[in-house]
Amino acid sequence: MTVKKKYSIKGTPKKLLSEWFNLMTLGRALDEKAPNYLKQAIGWSYHAPYAGHDGIQLAIGQIFDRKTDHLFPYYRDMLTSLSAGLTAEEVIFNGISKDNDVAGGGRHMSNHFAKPEWNVHNVSSCTGNHTLHAVGIARAVKHYKGKGVAISSQGESSVSEGYVYEAINGASKEQLPVIFVFQDNGYGISVPKKDQTANRKVADNFKGLKYLKIFHCNGKDVFDSMNTMTEAKAYAAENQMPAIVQANCVRMGSHSNSDKHELYRDNAELSYVEKYDPLAKFRRLLIRYKRFTEAELVKIEDDVKLQVKKAHRAGLTAPDPDPNSIHDFVIPDAYPAEKYPEGLHNETGEPKKLIEGLNETLKAEFRNNPDTFIWGQDIANKDKGGIFNVSKGMQQEFGIERVFNAPIAEDFIMGTANGMSRFNDKIRIVVEGAEFADYFWPAMEQFVETTHEYWRTKGQYSPNITVRLASGGYIGGGLYHSQNIEGALATFPGVRIVYPSYADDAAGLLRTSIRSKGMTVFMEPKALYNDPKAQAVVPDDFEVPFGKARVRREGTDLTIVTYGNTTHMCVEVADQIVKDLGKNVEVIDIRTLVPLDKETIIKSVAKTNKVLVVHEDKVFAGFGGEIAATITEEAFKHLDAPVRRVGSTFTPVGFNRILEKATLPNTDKIYAAAKDLLDY
Amino acid sequence: MMTKIGLIYSFNTIKTSKNAEKVKKAFGKDYDVEMVNVEEIDEDSFLSYKNMVLGVPTWFDGELPNYWDEFMPAIDDMKLKGKKVALFGLGDQVGYPENFVDAIGLLAIALEDRGAKLIGFTSPEGYTYERSAALRDGQFLGLALDIENQAALTDERIKAWVEQLKKEF
Repeated sequence: MTVKKKYSIKGTPKKLLSEWFNLMTLGRALDEKAPNYLKQAIGWSYHAPYAGHDGIQLAIGQIFDRKTDHLFPYYRDMLTSLSAGLTAEEVIFNGISKDNDVAGGGRHMSNHFAKPEWNVHNVSSCTGNHTLHAVGIARAVKHYKGKGVAISSQGESSVSEGYVYEAINGASKEQLPVIFVFQDNGYGISVPKKDQTANRKVADNFKGLKYLKIFHCNGKDVFDSMNTMTEAKAYAAENQMPAIVQANCVRMGSHSNSDKHELYRDNAELSYVEKYDPLAKFRRLLIRYKRFTEAELVKIEDDVKLQVKKAHRAGLTAPDPDPNSIHDFVIPDAYPAEKYPEGLHNETGEPKKLIEGLNETLKAEFRNNPDTFIWGQDIANKDKGGIFNVSKGMQQEFGIERVFNAPIAEDFIMGTANGMSRFNDKIRIVVEGAEFADYFWPAMEQFVETTHEYWRTKGQYSPNITVRLASGGYIGGGLYHSQNIEGALATFPGVRIVYPSYADDAAGLLRTSIRSKGMTVFMEPKALYNDPKAQAVVPDDFEVPFGKARVRREGTDLTIVTYGNTTHMCVEVADQIVKDLGKNVEVIDIRTLVPLDKETIIKSVAKTNKVLVVHEDKVFAGFGGEIAATITEEAFKHLDAPVRRVGSTFTPVGFNRILEKATLPNTDKIYAAAKDLLDY
Repeated sequence: MMTKIGLIYSFNTIKTSKNAEKVKKAFGKDYDVEMVNVEEIDEDSFLSYKNMVLGVPTWFDGELPNYWDEFMPAIDDMKLKGKKVALFGLGDQVGYPENFVDAIGLLAIALEDRGAKLIGFTSPEGYTYERSAALRDGQFLGLALDIENQAALTDERIKAWVEQLKKEF
């Protein structure tokens, strides 16, 4: 026996049907108008038409409650966005990239509709990327006992992305209220779905996942879509479990305005997709079942024309973004660290190991702020706390909801941090981005995405995340336990990067990172965790502001600029040189790569006139190149010698200790380069 | 008196129409088979037939075609007790093996829910597919035709099916 459904052509109130017909007609009018803006060189250069997805998009927007839910629409979700409450004006402002575009003031691509203020999130163009954000925010909804659900929408082909599996697996494992909607139009641009996966309905690939319920519906049909989305939402919210809704759609147009579907779809197909136009079907039903007269529908259609005209006029007169604003909202202001404005202290007492500094600071910050969370691989199991035990004892003290293991999926770790942080700006998240920095690469897509958020939303969303990474070599770890990745990460605007080399700086920078808004990559030189050289007295409340270098040894004859493992080598070399050569070498530990304390460096160069830049990462394309170039550009007049660099060779790090030694910098190599410069 | 049968399908189709003609022909002169265009049908004309043969091809990944789908809200409110209904439908067991002739099943179950007696069940032997919503208790709830892959068997299948229907109507 079939179950009576909530929505039907006969039973749905006329007022609601009228609203739906208005939304669908308005959406279609805008969808059809969008290419004209490009033809007239006004904008909307990226437009992915939604026609053929009308039923499911209407339904997604209709079941979304902006007070409790979170919606992650994808780039084809124009009707979804309108149905969720965006106005025609807001759609056009985004389409033609105006300053008052509520998604982010024309910063993001057109056809990426969002309204963060209403929990309609601004998402990446990388397909399926936001599934992880939906999972992350659902974790917060559940933790804070919210009533809502997260709804993530995407095309069926993007389910091929590995992180989509990770997202759905994670939602299943954590039993989170997320609805993953797959709008299946059969194509990923020109690629038919048979080239994506063996099952024609990709949702069936997830049949084995526990707690997950899979729904199928006709995304071209308003009522089937409404009923299915309603059931899926009830399932997710009531059971606190995830659901997939696979909606069968047709793509009536090309993928986007840069695609020509006539090149790969024959006339028969183009004709039947037209025939299955969901809007035309809805209209026929309204008439056939006598819910509306032809005249009533024409009146709505005429009214839509006026709405579009009005919105169009508003779009054309809206202000463009100011070119001078590009530097706004790259990264939010950091915690001011006013107690120790220079990041220096004179505390005396018992020195602590670097690992103790980190562990105690993490615990102190978790005591200080109940909205702190930490997760990663191997983060907590009884007496084990992290691969190097940095988080030891935290789960016992703060509980499994705040301190927990993540699956071995680095982009899941990073992506759900980005998602959870969206719930509110009190939340502070620490992740062990990977067991070793070497394994962070799978998270790069999510990392890059996170660097964009604040800028792309024009300051509406700041991912408040500290990414801890155990970094560097000197442990005989070979190619995959020795990498330094800070040079690569520093190329992305929107993230701070710190790399302490002593226990006190590690503690102070970690505190500042956790208290700050925005994302900070916190590099931990793992070779120094327990090394007596890195021990220091750590004041309980120590804070180190970002962008404040620390002069570890003063000198007048040569400046060495360094950070991380090599700081200690440079100090040793400086001590040796004064003994051997009677020359005084100044050693600057930059502590923070981004933002870089240029002032301290240039002041030192003005005094010594010679500079050696040392780091463990490769010389070629390493961060030292940026430092050297900055000095050359801004302090050339002070230089009496070329800026020299010492770092790793342009090779991987070999596992055999002989190979490792040949690759990584050491005191001999630094001494030789320093002596050359002093002799220059 | 000749048995009257309403043969209801979309006149705008090519493949289904062709096979509907074959069905009509197979009934021969002893049956009064009226061809009815589902795209123009209303409740009264549908209910005027006690015996019906419905043509319902499967669209996309297992959907009813629009003309049937848009008639479903009418069917939902009908009382079909006393009606005998047989269904035939086109499907593609190679291209769409996961949804082979699903539409037969979707329409059949809806009609049965309203009280109709389904007739004309057939064996799934001779077809190779993975899943079908038309399959129940080891039988298709109607006649599955696959002119994409088994065109040569179509005439024979229709003939045998209609002979079966003659007994069941």
